[in-house]
Amino acid sequence: MGELEDRRTAVSEARFESLLDTAADGVIVIDETGRMLVFNKICEQLFGYTSQEAIGQNVSLIMPPEFSVSHDRFMNNYHRTGERRIIGIGREVSGMHRDGTVFPLELSVGEAKTADGRQYIGVLRDLRSRRAVEQRVSQLQAQVVHMTRLSAMDEMGAAMAHELNQPLTALLLYLQAVARQVRACHADAKPPSDKMLDVLDKAVLEAERASHIVQRMRQMVEKRDPERATVDLREVVNEALDLSEFVAQGATVTIRRVFGMTPIQVDADATQIQQILLNLLRNAREVAKESEERWVKVSIGSDDRSAFVSVTDSGPGFSEDVGKSLFRTFSTTKKSGMGLGLAISRAIAQNHGGDLMADPGGNGQGATFTLMLPMHHSDEAEEDTWG
Amino acid sequence: MYIIVEDDPSVADALESLLSGAGLPVRVFASAEEFIHSASPAPDDTMIVDLGLPGMSGGELVRHLEKAGATPKVIAISGTSSRTIARETEGLADVKILRKPPAADWLEAITA
Repeated sequence: MGELEDRRTAVSEARFESLLDTAADGVIVIDETGRMLVFNKICEQLFGYTSQEAIGQNVSLIMPPEFSVSHDRFMNNYHRTGERRIIGIGREVSGMHRDGTVFPLELSVGEAKTADGRQYIGVLRDLRSRRAVEQRVSQLQAQVVHMTRLSAMDEMGAAMAHELNQPLTALLLYLQAVARQVRACHADAKPPSDKMLDVLDKAVLEAERASHIVQRMRQMVEKRDPERATVDLREVVNEALDLSEFVAQGATVTIRRVFGMTPIQVDADATQIQQILLNLLRNAREVAKESEERWVKVSIGSDDRSAFVSVTDSGPGFSEDVGKSLFRTFSTTKKSGMGLGLAISRAIAQNHGGDLMADPGGNGQGATFTLMLPMHHSDEAEEDTWG
Repeated sequence: MYIIVEDDPSVADALESLLSGAGLPVRVFASAEEFIHSASPAPDDTMIVDLGLPGMSGGELVRHLEKAGATPKVIAISGTSSRTIARETEGLADVKILRKPPAADWLEAITA
Protein backbone atom coordinates (compact mmCIF):
# COMPACT_ATOMS: atom_id res chain seq x y z
CA MET A 1 0.00 0.00 0.00
CA GLY A 2 1.48 3.34 -1.07
CA GLU A 3 1.95 6.38 1.13
CA LEU A 4 -0.74 8.34 -0.71
CA GLU A 5 -3.22 5.57 -0.28
CA ASP A 6 -2.40 5.36 3.42
CA ARG A 7 -3.17 9.05 3.75
CA ARG A 8 -6.41 8.71 1.84
CA THR A 9 -7.44 5.87 4.09
CA ALA A 10 -6.57 7.96 7.13
CA VAL A 11 -8.63 10.89 5.85
CA SER A 12 -11.62 8.76 5.03
CA GLU A 13 -11.37 7.07 8.42
CA ALA A 14 -11.31 10.45 10.12
CA ARG A 15 -14.39 11.49 8.13
CA PHE A 16 -16.07 8.25 8.99
CA GLU A 17 -15.32 8.78 12.71
CA SER A 18 -16.68 12.32 12.72
CA LEU A 19 -19.75 11.15 10.83
CA LEU A 20 -20.28 8.45 13.43
CA ASP A 21 -19.92 10.88 16.26
CA THR A 22 -22.40 13.38 14.84
CA ALA A 23 -24.96 10.65 14.16
CA ALA A 24 -28.08 10.91 16.29
CA ASP A 25 -28.22 7.16 16.68
CA GLY A 26 -25.90 4.72 18.31
CA VAL A 27 -23.69 2.92 15.82
CA ILE A 28 -21.80 -0.27 16.51
CA VAL A 29 -19.80 -2.40 14.11
CA ILE A 30 -18.93 -5.94 15.07
CA ASP A 31 -16.93 -8.64 13.34
CA GLU A 32 -17.91 -12.26 12.79
CA THR A 33 -16.92 -13.21 16.32
CA GLY A 34 -19.06 -10.50 17.89
CA ARG A 35 -16.07 -8.29 18.75
CA MET A 36 -16.89 -4.56 18.65
CA LEU A 37 -14.85 -2.57 16.12
CA VAL A 38 -16.76 0.72 16.26
CA PHE A 39 -18.59 2.24 19.22
CA ASN A 40 -19.70 5.83 18.62
CA LYS A 41 -20.38 8.77 20.98
CA ILE A 42 -24.10 8.06 21.28
CA CYS A 43 -23.27 4.51 22.31
CA GLU A 44 -21.00 5.87 25.02
CA GLN A 45 -23.98 7.78 26.40
CA LEU A 46 -26.39 4.90 25.94
CA PHE A 47 -24.26 2.27 27.60
CA GLY A 48 -21.86 4.14 29.86
CA TYR A 49 -18.65 2.71 28.35
CA THR A 50 -16.05 4.79 26.51
CA SER A 51 -15.24 3.64 22.99
CA GLN A 52 -11.75 2.62 24.18
CA GLU A 53 -13.32 0.38 26.79
CA ALA A 54 -15.86 -1.10 24.42
CA ILE A 55 -13.83 -1.66 21.28
CA GLY A 56 -12.32 -5.11 21.19
CA GLN A 57 -14.88 -6.52 23.63
CA ASN A 58 -17.70 -8.85 22.72
CA VAL A 59 -20.97 -7.06 21.97
CA SER A 60 -22.59 -9.09 24.74
CA LEU A 61 -21.10 -6.44 27.04
CA ILE A 62 -24.10 -4.21 26.32
CA MET A 63 -26.80 -6.86 26.45
CA PRO A 64 -28.70 -8.18 29.44
CA PRO A 65 -27.01 -11.43 30.55
CA GLU A 66 -29.87 -13.64 29.47
CA PHE A 67 -29.31 -12.61 25.83
CA SER A 68 -25.60 -12.21 25.79
CA VAL A 69 -25.26 -15.93 26.41
CA SER A 70 -27.25 -16.83 23.35
CA HIS A 71 -26.03 -14.09 21.04
CA ASP A 72 -22.85 -15.92 20.05
CA ARG A 73 -24.87 -19.03 19.39
CA PHE A 74 -27.20 -17.17 17.09
CA MET A 75 -24.37 -15.55 15.19
CA ASN A 76 -22.84 -18.97 14.63
CA ASN A 77 -26.21 -20.25 13.56
CA TYR A 78 -26.46 -17.46 11.00
CA HIS A 79 -23.03 -18.15 9.64
CA ARG A 80 -23.86 -21.81 9.29
CA THR A 81 -27.36 -21.58 7.86
CA GLY A 82 -27.51 -18.06 6.41
CA GLU A 83 -30.97 -17.77 7.94
CA ARG A 84 -31.68 -14.14 8.71
CA ARG A 85 -33.36 -13.31 11.92
CA ILE A 86 -32.60 -9.64 12.20
CA ILE A 87 -30.34 -8.48 9.37
CA GLY A 88 -32.16 -6.04 7.15
CA ILE A 89 -35.22 -6.23 9.36
CA GLY A 90 -34.67 -4.32 12.56
CA ARG A 91 -36.60 -4.87 15.73
CA GLU A 92 -36.99 -3.89 19.33
CA VAL A 93 -34.40 -5.38 21.63
CA SER A 94 -33.09 -4.77 25.15
CA GLY A 95 -29.77 -3.15 25.91
CA MET A 96 -27.99 -2.97 29.23
CA HIS A 97 -26.19 0.09 30.59
CA ARG A 98 -22.96 -0.33 32.54
CA ASP A 99 -24.95 0.28 35.74
CA GLY A 100 -27.21 -2.68 34.99
CA THR A 101 -30.22 -0.72 33.76
CA VAL A 102 -32.01 -2.65 31.03
CA PHE A 103 -33.77 -0.50 28.45
CA PRO A 104 -35.57 -0.88 25.13
CA LEU A 105 -33.73 -0.21 21.89
CA GLU A 106 -34.68 -0.24 18.27
CA LEU A 107 -31.95 -2.12 16.43
CA SER A 108 -31.34 -2.23 12.66
CA VAL A 109 -28.56 -4.42 11.41
CA GLY A 110 -26.73 -4.28 8.12
CA GLU A 111 -24.09 -6.65 6.85
CA ALA A 112 -20.87 -5.81 5.02
CA LYS A 113 -18.49 -8.27 3.42
CA THR A 114 -14.98 -6.91 3.90
CA ALA A 115 -11.54 -8.21 3.23
CA ASP A 116 -11.34 -9.02 6.95
CA GLY A 117 -14.48 -11.11 6.80
CA ARG A 118 -18.09 -10.30 7.44
CA GLN A 119 -18.91 -7.30 9.58
CA TYR A 120 -22.23 -6.19 10.97
CA ILE A 121 -23.33 -2.62 11.45
CA GLY A 122 -25.91 -2.01 14.11
CA VAL A 123 -27.83 1.25 14.37
CA LEU A 124 -29.41 1.69 17.79
CA ARG A 125 -32.12 4.05 18.89
CA ASP A 126 -33.08 4.51 22.52
CA LEU A 127 -36.78 3.82 22.80
CA ARG A 128 -37.25 5.10 26.32
CA SER A 129 -38.53 8.55 25.40
CA ARG A 130 -40.87 7.15 22.79
CA ARG A 131 -41.91 4.52 25.26
CA ALA A 132 -42.63 7.24 27.78
CA VAL A 133 -45.00 9.04 25.42
CA GLU A 134 -46.71 5.83 24.44
CA GLN A 135 -47.01 4.97 28.08
CA ARG A 136 -48.65 8.23 28.96
CA VAL A 137 -51.22 7.76 26.23
CA SER A 138 -51.97 4.20 27.16
CA GLN A 139 -52.08 5.17 30.81
CA LEU A 140 -54.73 7.74 30.15
CA GLN A 141 -56.72 5.33 28.03
CA ALA A 142 -56.41 2.66 30.61
CA GLN A 143 -57.11 4.90 33.54
CA VAL A 144 -60.83 4.39 33.72
CA VAL A 145 -60.71 0.66 33.02
CA HIS A 146 -57.94 0.24 35.47
CA MET A 147 -59.48 2.15 38.33
CA THR A 148 -62.56 0.02 37.95
CA ARG A 149 -60.51 -3.15 38.09
CA LEU A 150 -58.54 -2.20 41.13
CA SER A 151 -61.42 -0.85 43.10
CA ALA A 152 -63.55 -3.84 42.14
CA MET A 153 -61.13 -6.04 44.04
CA ASP A 154 -60.91 -3.62 46.94
CA GLU A 155 -64.62 -3.16 47.13
CA MET A 156 -65.18 -6.87 46.93
CA GLY A 157 -62.86 -7.34 49.89
CA ALA A 158 -64.49 -4.61 51.93
CA ALA A 159 -68.01 -5.74 51.03
CA MET A 160 -67.20 -9.31 51.96
CA ALA A 161 -65.70 -8.33 55.27
CA HIS A 162 -68.76 -6.24 56.02
CA GLU A 163 -71.24 -8.87 54.92
CA LEU A 164 -69.53 -11.69 56.79
CA ASN A 165 -69.30 -9.60 59.91
CA GLN A 166 -73.03 -9.60 60.55
CA PRO A 167 -73.75 -13.35 60.38
CA LEU A 168 -70.54 -14.10 62.27
CA THR A 169 -71.49 -11.67 64.99
CA ALA A 170 -74.98 -13.14 65.28
CA LEU A 171 -73.61 -16.70 65.18
CA LEU A 172 -71.11 -16.07 67.96
CA LEU A 173 -73.68 -14.28 70.12
CA TYR A 174 -76.17 -17.15 69.72
CA LEU A 175 -73.47 -19.60 70.70
CA GLN A 176 -72.47 -17.48 73.70
CA ALA A 177 -76.13 -17.32 74.74
CA VAL A 178 -76.71 -21.04 74.45
CA ALA A 179 -73.44 -21.90 76.16
CA ARG A 180 -74.48 -19.78 79.14
CA GLN A 181 -77.89 -21.40 79.29
CA VAL A 182 -76.44 -24.91 79.10
CA ARG A 183 -74.04 -24.07 81.90
CA ALA A 184 -76.90 -22.62 83.98
CA CYS A 185 -79.05 -25.73 83.43
CA HIS A 186 -76.13 -27.92 84.33
CA ALA A 187 -75.60 -26.01 87.56
CA ASP A 188 -79.29 -26.40 88.46
CA ALA A 189 -79.27 -30.07 87.32
CA LYS A 190 -82.08 -29.29 84.87
CA PRO A 191 -82.38 -30.76 81.33
CA PRO A 192 -81.69 -28.39 78.43
CA SER A 193 -84.81 -26.54 77.27
CA ASP A 194 -86.37 -26.25 73.82
CA LYS A 195 -85.41 -22.59 73.90
CA MET A 196 -81.80 -23.58 73.63
CA LEU A 197 -82.56 -25.69 70.57
CA ASP A 198 -84.25 -22.66 69.01
CA VAL A 199 -81.16 -20.58 69.60
CA LEU A 200 -78.99 -23.32 68.13
CA ASP A 201 -81.21 -23.49 65.04
CA LYS A 202 -80.79 -19.76 64.60
CA ALA A 203 -77.04 -20.14 65.00
CA VAL A 204 -77.04 -22.71 62.21
CA LEU A 205 -78.97 -20.30 59.98
CA GLU A 206 -76.38 -17.60 60.56
CA ALA A 207 -73.54 -19.99 59.76
CA GLU A 208 -75.34 -20.82 56.51
CA ARG A 209 -75.74 -17.14 55.74
CA ALA A 210 -71.99 -16.71 56.13
CA SER A 211 -71.22 -19.68 53.93
CA HIS A 212 -73.58 -18.39 51.23
CA ILE A 213 -71.56 -15.22 51.09
CA VAL A 214 -68.38 -17.22 50.66
CA GLN A 215 -69.99 -19.35 47.96
CA ARG A 216 -71.09 -16.25 46.12
CA MET A 217 -67.55 -14.96 46.15
CA ARG A 218 -66.28 -18.27 44.86
CA GLN A 219 -68.77 -18.14 42.02
CA MET A 220 -67.68 -14.67 41.09
CA VAL A 221 -64.15 -15.93 40.72
CA GLU A 222 -64.70 -19.40 39.33
CA LYS A 223 -67.92 -19.46 37.43
CA ARG A 224 -67.21 -16.57 35.16
CA ASP A 225 -66.05 -17.97 31.85
CA PRO A 226 -62.62 -16.49 31.41
CA GLU A 227 -62.00 -14.87 28.07
CA ARG A 228 -59.03 -17.00 27.14
CA ALA A 229 -56.70 -15.99 24.39
CA THR A 230 -53.11 -16.78 23.52
CA VAL A 231 -51.16 -13.78 24.75
CA ASP A 232 -47.55 -12.81 25.22
CA LEU A 233 -47.09 -12.78 28.97
CA ARG A 234 -44.50 -9.99 28.64
CA GLU A 235 -47.10 -7.69 27.12
CA VAL A 236 -49.64 -8.56 29.78
CA VAL A 237 -47.07 -7.84 32.49
CA ASN A 238 -45.88 -4.66 30.81
CA GLU A 239 -49.40 -3.34 30.67
CA ALA A 240 -49.99 -4.22 34.30
CA LEU A 241 -46.77 -2.40 35.20
CA ASP A 242 -47.86 0.67 33.27
CA LEU A 243 -51.21 0.60 35.02
CA SER A 244 -49.62 0.13 38.39
CA GLU A 245 -47.20 2.96 37.63
CA PHE A 246 -50.12 5.17 36.84
CA VAL A 247 -51.88 4.45 40.10
CA ALA A 248 -48.70 4.89 42.12
CA GLN A 249 -47.93 8.21 40.48
CA GLY A 250 -45.33 10.11 42.43
CA ALA A 251 -44.25 7.01 44.28
CA THR A 252 -40.53 6.64 44.82
CA VAL A 253 -40.29 2.91 44.34
CA THR A 254 -38.11 1.78 41.42
CA ILE A 255 -39.49 -0.96 39.23
CA ARG A 256 -36.89 -3.31 37.77
CA ARG A 257 -38.06 -5.28 34.79
CA VAL A 258 -36.16 -8.47 34.05
CA PHE A 259 -37.72 -9.70 30.83
CA GLY A 260 -36.46 -11.97 28.11
CA MET A 261 -36.53 -11.25 24.39
CA THR A 262 -38.59 -14.29 23.59
CA PRO A 263 -42.36 -13.99 23.60
CA ILE A 264 -43.85 -16.17 26.28
CA GLN A 265 -47.17 -17.41 25.03
CA VAL A 266 -49.79 -18.41 27.54
CA ASP A 267 -53.49 -19.09 27.21
CA ALA A 268 -55.06 -16.72 29.67
CA ASP A 269 -57.63 -14.08 30.38
CA ALA A 270 -55.35 -11.04 30.26
CA THR A 271 -57.66 -8.95 32.44
CA GLN A 272 -57.76 -11.54 35.20
CA ILE A 273 -54.00 -12.04 35.07
CA GLN A 274 -53.54 -8.30 35.34
CA GLN A 275 -55.82 -8.23 38.35
CA ILE A 276 -53.48 -10.68 40.04
CA LEU A 277 -50.40 -8.71 39.03
CA LEU A 278 -51.84 -5.38 40.09
CA ASN A 279 -52.64 -6.85 43.45
CA LEU A 280 -49.11 -8.25 43.82
CA LEU A 281 -47.53 -5.01 42.62
CA ARG A 282 -49.56 -2.91 44.98
CA ASN A 283 -48.56 -5.09 47.92
CA ALA A 284 -44.92 -5.12 46.84
CA ARG A 285 -44.84 -1.35 46.41
CA GLU A 286 -46.30 -0.86 49.85
CA VAL A 287 -43.66 -3.05 51.41
CA ALA A 288 -40.83 -1.58 49.30
CA LYS A 289 -41.88 1.95 50.21
CA GLU A 290 -40.97 1.26 53.82
CA SER A 291 -37.63 -0.33 52.97
CA GLU A 292 -34.27 1.30 52.52
CA GLU A 293 -33.67 0.37 48.90
CA ARG A 294 -37.19 0.93 47.61
CA TRP A 295 -37.37 -1.32 44.59
CA VAL A 296 -39.66 -3.93 43.19
CA LYS A 297 -38.28 -6.46 40.73
CA VAL A 298 -40.57 -8.05 38.19
CA SER A 299 -39.10 -10.97 36.28
CA ILE A 300 -40.56 -13.24 33.68
CA GLY A 301 -39.26 -16.66 32.84
CA SER A 302 -40.37 -19.99 31.50
CA ASP A 303 -39.47 -23.60 31.11
CA ASP A 304 -40.98 -26.20 28.78
CA ARG A 305 -44.26 -26.40 30.58
CA SER A 306 -44.76 -23.27 32.61
CA ALA A 307 -44.35 -19.53 32.46
CA PHE A 308 -43.52 -17.56 35.59
CA VAL A 309 -43.90 -13.99 36.68
CA SER A 310 -42.12 -13.18 39.93
CA VAL A 311 -42.58 -10.02 41.96
CA THR A 312 -39.89 -9.42 44.57
CA ASP A 313 -39.71 -6.43 46.88
CA SER A 314 -36.83 -4.85 48.74
CA GLY A 315 -38.61 -5.34 52.05
CA PRO A 316 -37.61 -7.61 54.93
CA GLY A 317 -39.67 -10.64 53.85
CA PHE A 318 -42.08 -12.26 56.27
CA SER A 319 -41.98 -14.96 58.89
CA GLU A 320 -42.87 -18.58 58.20
CA ASP A 321 -46.03 -18.25 60.28
CA VAL A 322 -47.26 -15.36 58.22
CA GLY A 323 -46.34 -17.32 55.10
CA LYS A 324 -48.50 -20.24 56.16
CA SER A 325 -51.63 -18.19 56.68
CA LEU A 326 -51.00 -15.79 53.82
CA PHE A 327 -53.47 -17.23 51.37
CA ARG A 328 -56.23 -17.68 53.84
CA THR A 329 -59.11 -15.42 53.14
CA PHE A 330 -58.95 -12.39 55.41
CA SER A 331 -55.54 -13.09 56.81
CA THR A 332 -53.61 -9.89 56.49
CA THR A 333 -50.61 -8.18 57.99
CA LYS A 334 -51.87 -4.85 56.80
CA LYS A 335 -54.96 -2.76 56.81
CA SER A 336 -55.47 -3.20 53.10
CA GLY A 337 -57.04 -6.65 53.20
CA MET A 338 -54.14 -8.27 51.40
CA GLY A 339 -55.16 -11.80 52.39
CA LEU A 340 -58.41 -11.65 50.52
CA GLY A 341 -56.69 -10.34 47.42
CA LEU A 342 -54.19 -13.22 47.56
CA ALA A 343 -56.90 -15.81 48.10
CA ILE A 344 -58.83 -14.53 45.10
CA SER A 345 -55.63 -14.23 43.07
CA ARG A 346 -54.66 -17.80 43.77
CA ALA A 347 -58.15 -19.00 42.84
CA ILE A 348 -57.85 -17.16 39.51
CA ALA A 349 -54.39 -18.64 38.88
CA GLN A 350 -55.55 -22.15 39.67
CA ASN A 351 -58.56 -21.66 37.44
CA HIS A 352 -56.04 -21.03 34.65
CA GLY A 353 -54.29 -24.31 35.45
CA GLY A 354 -51.52 -22.41 37.22
CA ASP A 355 -50.81 -21.36 40.78
CA LEU A 356 -49.67 -18.50 42.94
CA MET A 357 -46.80 -19.18 45.31
CA ALA A 358 -45.05 -17.17 47.98
CA ASP A 359 -41.41 -17.28 49.02
CA PRO A 360 -41.23 -15.52 52.37
CA GLY A 361 -37.64 -14.34 51.96
CA GLY A 362 -36.18 -13.02 55.22
CA ASN A 363 -32.52 -12.61 56.27
CA GLY A 364 -32.19 -9.52 54.13
CA GLN A 365 -34.24 -11.02 51.32
CA GLY A 366 -37.58 -9.55 50.33
CA ALA A 367 -40.63 -11.68 49.75
CA THR A 368 -41.25 -13.10 46.28
CA PHE A 369 -44.65 -13.94 44.88
CA THR A 370 -44.61 -16.11 41.79
CA LEU A 371 -47.51 -16.51 39.43
CA MET A 372 -47.23 -19.68 37.40
CA LEU A 373 -49.21 -20.28 34.22
CA PRO A 374 -49.05 -23.21 31.83
CA MET A 375 -47.31 -22.40 28.54
CA HIS A 376 -49.28 -22.27 25.34
CA HIS A 377 -48.33 -25.23 23.17
CA SER A 378 -48.11 -24.53 19.50
CA ASP A 379 -46.75 -26.87 16.85
CA GLU A 380 -43.54 -24.98 16.27
CA ALA A 381 -41.73 -23.03 18.89
CA GLU A 382 -40.24 -19.85 17.49
CA GLU A 383 -37.03 -18.42 18.72
CA ASP A 384 -36.62 -14.71 18.56
CA THR A 385 -33.30 -13.09 19.26
CA TRP A 386 -30.76 -10.46 18.42
CA GLY A 387 -28.65 -12.54 16.06
CA MET B 1 -83.07 -1.74 80.97
CA TYR B 2 -80.82 -2.76 78.10
CA ILE B 3 -81.66 -0.93 74.87
CA ILE B 4 -80.36 -2.40 71.60
CA VAL B 5 -80.32 -0.19 68.50
CA GLU B 6 -79.18 -2.39 65.61
CA ASP B 7 -80.47 -2.59 62.05
CA ASP B 8 -79.34 -6.14 61.29
CA PRO B 9 -82.23 -8.31 62.58
CA SER B 10 -80.06 -11.37 63.22
CA VAL B 11 -77.47 -9.48 65.21
CA ALA B 12 -80.24 -7.73 67.16
CA ASP B 13 -82.01 -11.02 67.85
CA ALA B 14 -78.81 -12.79 68.88
CA LEU B 15 -77.90 -9.97 71.22
CA GLU B 16 -81.38 -10.07 72.69
CA SER B 17 -81.09 -13.86 73.20
CA LEU B 18 -77.82 -13.41 75.00
CA LEU B 19 -79.08 -10.67 77.34
CA SER B 20 -82.58 -11.97 77.99
CA GLY B 21 -81.20 -15.49 78.42
CA ALA B 22 -79.27 -14.06 81.36
CA GLY B 23 -82.51 -12.68 82.74
CA LEU B 24 -81.86 -9.05 81.79
CA PRO B 25 -84.67 -6.72 80.57
CA VAL B 26 -84.16 -5.87 76.88
CA ARG B 27 -85.78 -3.65 74.24
CA VAL B 28 -84.77 -3.72 70.58
CA PHE B 29 -84.97 -0.90 68.02
CA ALA B 30 -84.04 -1.19 64.34
CA SER B 31 -83.01 2.44 63.88
CA ALA B 32 -82.00 5.56 65.77
CA GLU B 33 -85.16 7.31 64.56
CA GLU B 34 -87.40 4.52 65.81
CA PHE B 35 -85.78 4.72 69.23
CA ILE B 36 -86.01 8.53 69.50
CA HIS B 37 -89.70 8.48 68.57
CA SER B 38 -90.71 5.86 71.08
CA ALA B 39 -88.46 6.05 74.11
CA SER B 40 -86.09 8.13 76.15
CA PRO B 41 -83.39 6.47 78.18
CA ALA B 42 -83.06 6.61 81.94
CA PRO B 43 -79.64 7.28 83.50
CA ASP B 44 -79.30 3.69 84.69
CA ASP B 45 -80.09 2.20 81.26
CA THR B 46 -77.42 0.65 79.08
CA MET B 47 -77.63 1.41 75.37
CA ILE B 48 -75.99 -0.89 72.84
CA VAL B 49 -75.78 1.11 69.62
CA ASP B 50 -74.55 -0.03 66.23
CA LEU B 51 -72.40 2.78 64.86
CA GLY B 52 -73.24 1.97 61.25
CA LEU B 53 -77.00 2.49 61.39
CA PRO B 54 -78.69 3.59 58.18
CA GLY B 55 -80.25 7.05 58.43
CA MET B 56 -79.16 8.66 61.68
CA SER B 57 -75.87 6.94 62.56
CA GLY B 58 -75.05 5.46 65.95
CA GLY B 59 -72.56 8.25 66.62
CA GLU B 60 -75.18 10.90 65.87
CA LEU B 61 -77.67 9.15 68.12
CA VAL B 62 -75.25 9.20 71.05
CA ARG B 63 -74.46 12.86 70.40
CA HIS B 64 -78.18 13.60 70.25
CA LEU B 65 -78.70 11.92 73.63
CA GLU B 66 -75.79 13.79 75.20
CA LYS B 67 -77.25 17.08 73.99
CA ALA B 68 -80.66 16.16 75.38
CA GLY B 69 -79.00 15.63 78.75
CA ALA B 70 -79.70 11.92 78.86
CA THR B 71 -76.68 10.04 80.17
CA PRO B 72 -77.21 6.30 79.86
CA LYS B 73 -74.22 4.03 79.72
CA VAL B 74 -73.37 3.64 76.01
CA ILE B 75 -71.74 0.69 74.32
CA ALA B 76 -71.01 1.13 70.63
CA ILE B 77 -70.76 -1.89 68.36
CA SER B 78 -69.15 -1.74 64.96
CA GLY B 79 -67.76 -3.94 62.21
CA THR B 80 -65.64 -1.27 60.57
CA SER B 81 -61.95 -0.44 60.88
CA SER B 82 -60.56 1.12 64.03
CA ARG B 83 -59.86 4.30 62.10
CA THR B 84 -63.48 4.59 61.01
CA ILE B 85 -64.61 3.90 64.55
CA ALA B 86 -62.31 6.59 65.91
CA ARG B 87 -63.76 9.07 63.43
CA GLU B 88 -67.34 8.12 64.22
CA THR B 89 -66.92 8.35 67.96
CA GLU B 90 -64.81 11.51 67.96
CA GLY B 91 -65.81 13.89 70.73
CA LEU B 92 -68.01 11.36 72.47
CA ALA B 93 -67.37 11.00 76.18
CA ASP B 94 -66.82 7.57 77.62
CA VAL B 95 -68.06 5.18 74.94
CA LYS B 96 -67.12 1.56 75.21
CA ILE B 97 -66.50 -0.08 71.83
CA LEU B 98 -67.27 -3.68 70.95
CA ARG B 99 -66.08 -4.83 67.55
CA LYS B 100 -67.89 -7.25 65.27
CA PRO B 101 -67.41 -10.13 65.12
CA PRO B 102 -67.04 -10.69 68.88
CA ALA B 103 -63.62 -11.78 70.07
CA ALA B 104 -64.79 -12.31 73.68
CA ASP B 105 -67.94 -12.84 75.69
CA TRP B 106 -70.17 -9.88 75.01
CA LEU B 107 -72.47 -10.41 77.99
CA GLU B 108 -69.55 -9.89 80.33
CA ALA B 109 -68.40 -6.90 78.33
CA ILE B 110 -71.85 -5.32 78.33
CA THR B 111 -72.69 -5.91 81.98
CA ALA B 112 -69.21 -5.13 83.28
